[in-house]
Amino acid sequence: MKPAPFDYFAPTTLEEVFELLNRYGGDARVIAGGQSLVPMLALRLARPEVVVDLNRVPSLSGITEEDGVLRIGAMTRQARALASDIIGTKLPLLHQGLLNVGHPPTRARGTLGGSISHADPAAETPMVMLAYGAKMVIAGSAGERTVEAAEFTLDTFETCLEDGEILKEIIVEASADEGTGFSELARRRGDFAMVSAAARIRLDADGRCAEAHLMIGAVAPVPLRCDAVADALVGTQLTERRIRDAVRLIDLNSFSFDNAEVSLAYRRHIAPTLASRALAQAVGRTGGLRT
Amino acid sequence: MAIGEPIVRVEDERFLRGEGRFIADYALPRMVEAHILRSPYAHATIRSIGLDQALALPGVHAVLTCDDLPEGLPPIHCRIPTHGDLSPYLQYPLALGKVRYVGEPVAVIVADTRAIAEDAAELVELDFDPLPAVTDPAAALAADAEQVHEAGNLAGRWGFDLGDVSGALEAATFMVSDRFSIQRHTAMPMETRGLLAYYDVGRGLLDIYGPTKVVHTNRNLLATMLRMGEAEIRMIEPDVGGSFGARGEFYPEDFLIPFAAIKLRRPVRWIEDRVEHFAAINHSRDCVFDVTVAADADGIITAFDVKLVTDMGGYIRTHGDVVPSHAGASFPGPYRVRNYRLDAMTVMTNKTPTGTYRAPGMFEANFARERAIDRLAQKMGMERAELRRKNLILPEQMPWHVGTESVKRPTIFDSGNFPLIFDRATDAFGWSLPYQREVDGWKRGRGMCALVEPSGLGPFEGVRIEVDQHGRVQIFSGSSNQGQGHETVLAQIASEVLTVPMEKVRVRHGDTGIITFGGGTYASRTAIIGGNAVYSASISVRTKALDAASRRFGIPVEELDLREGAIWHGLNNEPVAKIGDIARMLMPGNQEILQTPSAGNIPDNDGLVVTSYVRAVSAGAAVFAVHLADVLVDPATGETRVERYMVACDVGRQINPMIVEGQIVGGVAQGLGGTFLEELTYNEEGQLTTGTFTDYLMPNIYDMPPVTSLVFEESPATTNALGVKGVGEVGPSGVAAAVGNAIADALGTSVGLNTLPLTPQRVIEAIGFEVGA
Repeated sequence: MKPAPFDYFAPTTLEEVFELLNRYGGDARVIAGGQSLVPMLALRLARPEVVVDLNRVPSLSGITEEDGVLRIGAMTRQARALASDIIGTKLPLLHQGLLNVGHPPTRARGTLGGSISHADPAAETPMVMLAYGAKMVIAGSAGERTVEAAEFTLDTFETCLEDGEILKEIIVEASADEGTGFSELARRRGDFAMVSAAARIRLDADGRCAEAHLMIGAVAPVPLRCDAVADALVGTQLTERRIRDAVRLIDLNSFSFDNAEVSLAYRRHIAPTLASRALAQAVGRTGGLRT
Repeated sequence: MAIGEPIVRVEDERFLRGEGRFIADYALPRMVEAHILRSPYAHATIRSIGLDQALALPGVHAVLTCDDLPEGLPPIHCRIPTHGDLSPYLQYPLALGKVRYVGEPVAVIVADTRAIAEDAAELVELDFDPLPAVTDPAAALAADAEQVHEAGNLAGRWGFDLGDVSGALEAATFMVSDRFSIQRHTAMPMETRGLLAYYDVGRGLLDIYGPTKVVHTNRNLLATMLRMGEAEIRMIEPDVGGSFGARGEFYPEDFLIPFAAIKLRRPVRWIEDRVEHFAAINHSRDCVFDVTVAADADGIITAFDVKLVTDMGGYIRTHGDVVPSHAGASFPGPYRVRNYRLDAMTVMTNKTPTGTYRAPGMFEANFARERAIDRLAQKMGMERAELRRKNLILPEQMPWHVGTESVKRPTIFDSGNFPLIFDRATDAFGWSLPYQREVDGWKRGRGMCALVEPSGLGPFEGVRIEVDQHGRVQIFSGSSNQGQGHETVLAQIASEVLTVPMEKVRVRHGDTGIITFGGGTYASRTAIIGGNAVYSASISVRTKALDAASRRFGIPVEELDLREGAIWHGLNNEPVAKIGDIARMLMPGNQEILQTPSAGNIPDNDGLVVTSYVRAVSAGAAVFAVHLADVLVDPATGETRVERYMVACDVGRQINPMIVEGQIVGGVAQGLGGTFLEELTYNEEGQLTTGTFTDYLMPNIYDMPPVTSLVFEESPATTNALGVKGVGEVGPSGVAAAVGNAIADALGTSVGLNTLPLTPQRVIEAIGFEVGA
């Protein structure tokens, strides 16, 4: 479990980062919190010639808010995001999702951008960003570009990042008057989900559902948006019964993950339950209610 | 008073201060590091192994392959008697001609650093012809199956046919037949294995740091393989971070690393990494029981009829077939069932070889038997505890001869009042009190397992006790310590008998250089056999000290007394002598006692030193235990949560209740891992698919329920002077059974939950489900 030899650079500015990435092209990998890359290096499953460490670039970390728009630096530690009041109050779904990411020691090193860029289909943070319709700021030596979360994650472990580019920042618009819910089942707490579900609900003045979002994770290469479920909820008074009926509209045929340990049939069986729980939790938390 | 006190473990201070010395903390000048190149194939013929490129890498000192092994080297022998001749299945330190599991050692690469050695490993050219992999015992027994060894895939078959099973089955009013599978999983000690071998070329002496568990046995085995004198090899146990049966057996590396050190004339160190550990350490448990249990109209169990198939993996190792042997011999458990039939088969496959893991055979057998008994109770409409209670072996039937044997020794339960402990356990748990069946949509179930855990097996143990001039007591134990607390427990026994404070007693262990013979640590034996060796040696030290004082001071020995670490005469205010003074008087050459010159042994002045070897009684000491659990189950997802857990057991006599409780609670944690999470799975090519902690899930603190240990001292062991019974394996032994029964109770199902681990998916499958329902 010793990595194959590689050259290591620890730049302190973004300019240096891009200069290195340009120089080494596809031979280089950036390392953020190292929670996925380090084991892959140790197992020699990843064998980059060059590792560029982003941990000493201060401009990549931090959480700021302006007019309800949050900007989260890609190198922001998961633990810091979890402890952030701004995220706790403005992006509660991210807070709930992060509670399911690993454990305190892994979150102390693991970063938000690292997790999103790794694009594990069972990971919580990409799903949360999809649920929020976040924007991903991608930077490279040629400058910056911004893509929608839905265009960022392409496939299992695959994003739209090109050689020489990194995820620099995540921009999320906070929605003040909504409730959020997150529900996941893993073999052990903190492990990769067998199925996860994330929900956002906004009610109108009459208490009817004005807006709904539901995501299901860990069942296909990219977390699934369940717009049919959301559409069925919008305009209605949300009851347990209504939710239970609506989650039947989850497109179970778009589930594809199947293995001996966690079969496709089992994932299809528990997904509606987890979706109901996430939605019910979100409804319970509308209007700032916390349950 | 030291025996029976909950004394804080003396070894913990150094561990907590970071002053423990584990094998990776050891280094020697000119030391080089080894990496074992392991087979990437489950089954293949070796055509050639090309070393040129690897040897050319700077920093590489040697690459040893099977061509370098000494002429006539024997395979690693099995240290335990087996059912039939398993010698055709033994493993050589490096694969000879054929590999039989992924992870089998193929070459040893020695380099300046481990990293260089691993780089070199990628440069070794393995030209192998892959063969079909045999990964399933049932398939292995098919007529046209690929043969793992020339001797055939069926390594052994044995059994018992006690009483009249066929008659009992015919006459039965109730009968249940079912299949129970216990998954392959094994010990994951926090510290992996490691060895550092140093060969003193000039003197021809070999020192090896890192062995544990059975160091004398391993030393003798290595001496045979290296054709060296036994005393020319010294094996030294460092601090060890866990074994659970697996670490410390003699593995290929236990030959290869010393062999490389001799060959290179340099100290060689090898530290197993976790990925290696998964593929290289003995796996365990992997077996299937077909159980038929019969009962009459009154609820008396009349017969057990059992078929047991065990997947042994690619080779037979040092443990032989002891795991299925124990499972088969003790299957009837605490019940007085005289009609018992066993048909046991051991089958070779292309997987990692197997050995013991804490509660070997018992975790497995208890799961199969106790799940079957719950099924039987359900079928009969009899309350589950009542059915068990009715069939327990009675105190007046002790010692109970099961009628079976394991490793050539009859299975005997020496003592116990099973009904008494059973009643206390169920009362304390509140077994018969009503409980809310549903909580927030989750269903609650209650389960139990009654079991007998054998302990204190193995032929003997030895200690030497030395008292010095300052009254300090050193215990040199032939046993080993991998975290169990022996340094505390053995010291407590000597402290009690010699009336010296604990601070003045030190225990050293696991070193062939400090005592001539040693048994080792397995089968929950150290408190029993090692403990009795200390007890016996301590009594001899006391006798010797009193005799010496009597002679020296001319006082009849009956008038002398040892207390507070000194010799006292009657009611005098001052002691006659301190125990350290006696030790000084007894030193050879001491001038205080005028001695005539002697050319022979000095019988009376050989120090206040006693060596004691205690022979074990073959029955060992039987611990009766009851596991009880309340479990919540989410019928929508199959998620489970163990709400509360209790282990009640009769250990005869506790030496240190704090250690006893720790053993039980830790054991339950380990049992929960085997019940819910841990599994070593293989694909059809024979590749291990759960070879890291990402896929092989260990229990963690989130999964840990509150565990109550209820420890009784009702029936002291009749087979040792202290009356103690081993508690090391009581914790895991009944967990799968109690939890499985509780889940079945929660769901009210009479099918499923027969296959471990009990994953959410398997739990859901037990009640059946329709997608989208």
